[in-house]
Order: sequence, then C-alpha cells, then structure tokens
Amino acid sequence: MSIRKIYISVSLVSTLLILGYYLLNLIPMMRQGDLNSEDVFRLAAIAIIASIVLNIAGNILTNIVIHIIHAIQTQSDKEVRLIEDERDKLISLKGAQVSYVAFSLGVLASMLAFVLGQPALVMFCLIIFFSLLAEICGDLAQFYYYSRGS
Amino acid sequence: MEKYKVRNKLRKLRFLNGEMTQEQLAEKAGVTRQTIIAIEGSKYAPSLELAFKIALAFGVPLGEVFSYEIGDE
Repeated sequence: MSIRKIYISVSLVSTLLILGYYLLNLIPMMRQGDLNSEDVFRLAAIAIIASIVLNIAGNILTNIVIHIIHAIQTQSDKEVRLIEDERDKLISLKGAQVSYVAFSLGVLASMLAFVLGQPALVMFCLIIFFSLLAEICGDLAQFYYYSRGS
Repeated sequence: MEKYKVRNKLRKLRFLNGEMTQEQLAEKAGVTRQTIIAIEGSKYAPSLELAFKIALAFGVPLGEVFSYEIGDE
C-alpha cells in the first residue's frame, strides 16, 4: 500500500467514525420524535469539529508511524519522500469533484425533504449527513483512482 | 473509432541506463515512485513537462521515450 493510500485510509476511517457517532446520536432522537434545535446544533458542531481534529491528529500520527517504519526498514535517518506530484494533484482534484457532486446531490435531496413537508431541522440534519457522506465518497474515489493508476 | 494510447519505453531505457531503479528515476524526474510505476504500466499519461523531464533523465529525445499508438484494451 502506497503512502498516499495510507493517508486516504486514515481520513476514510476517521470520517466513518464521525458518521457513525453522528447517526448513533441522531437516530434515537428522531425515533423519540424530540428533535430540538439545541441538541441537533450541538451534535452537528461536535461532528464538524471532531472531523477536523480527528483528520489532523490522524495525519500527524500517520506521519510519525510512516517515518518510524521507514527508519526501521532502511536502517538510516534518510527522510521519507513525501512529495505531491502531478498525479497526486490530479487524483486529489478528481476526489474533490466526486465529493462536490455527492454533496450537491445531498443538498438537493435535503431541500426536497423540506419541500415535501419535513421540518427545517430535518433538512439541517440531512445536510450534515450528506456532507460527511460526500467526504467518504471523495476518499473512496481517490482510493479507486490510486488503485487504477490515475 | 480506433483508440490511441500513450506508450513508453521506460523499462527498456532504465535497463539500458545501468538498471536504473524506479526510485532513482522518480527522484530525477521529481515525482513519486508510484507515478513512475503508473507511467511504466501505461496506466497514466504524464504531462508534457513530466515527459520532457523523464526524457532528460535518460538523455534522449522525447520521441524515444514516448509514442502515441493504437491501444489494445
């Protein structure tokens, strides 16, 4: 597995964890029918902040682990070449495009739910859900492009 | 309609340049080894600039490294 794939995997796992946490808290609220704005906004804020923090922490940890493994394998203090070349940039752009399309469709679906009579709070919950889903789609797309070659 | 594809002779040129490794070529061209692997396997068509850098690394004209031929996918 290449270094880029490891970084994408870390991002994918952290976003999946956040999505899991978000759904595990949101679904019981919806089932009980007591969706109140304060709880929903707090949950959304936790999900967004945790997503950022987990991604940064994950990247730092991955960096450390990669450097340690590289040092053990090569038995030298030569640094790992962590450059982003044109292919990496292209794949990153393709991933961002997939994320953008997924998020746009998600926002459209959320608005459709609002138009069909769901409360505004449900629309907000759906937008947060689709933003996390879009990030997962982008990561999966990048993973696919790296596996395919470009 | 016939489908054209960018072909290359990276493997052969690496062999002719004293069994140059993919890592060494990657360092000379300023890209990652994964990108060299993808180019060598014809899975990725490099930009014109990168193609020139690779040709420069081997010290040969661009046409000797890359060609545009009918693909057989």
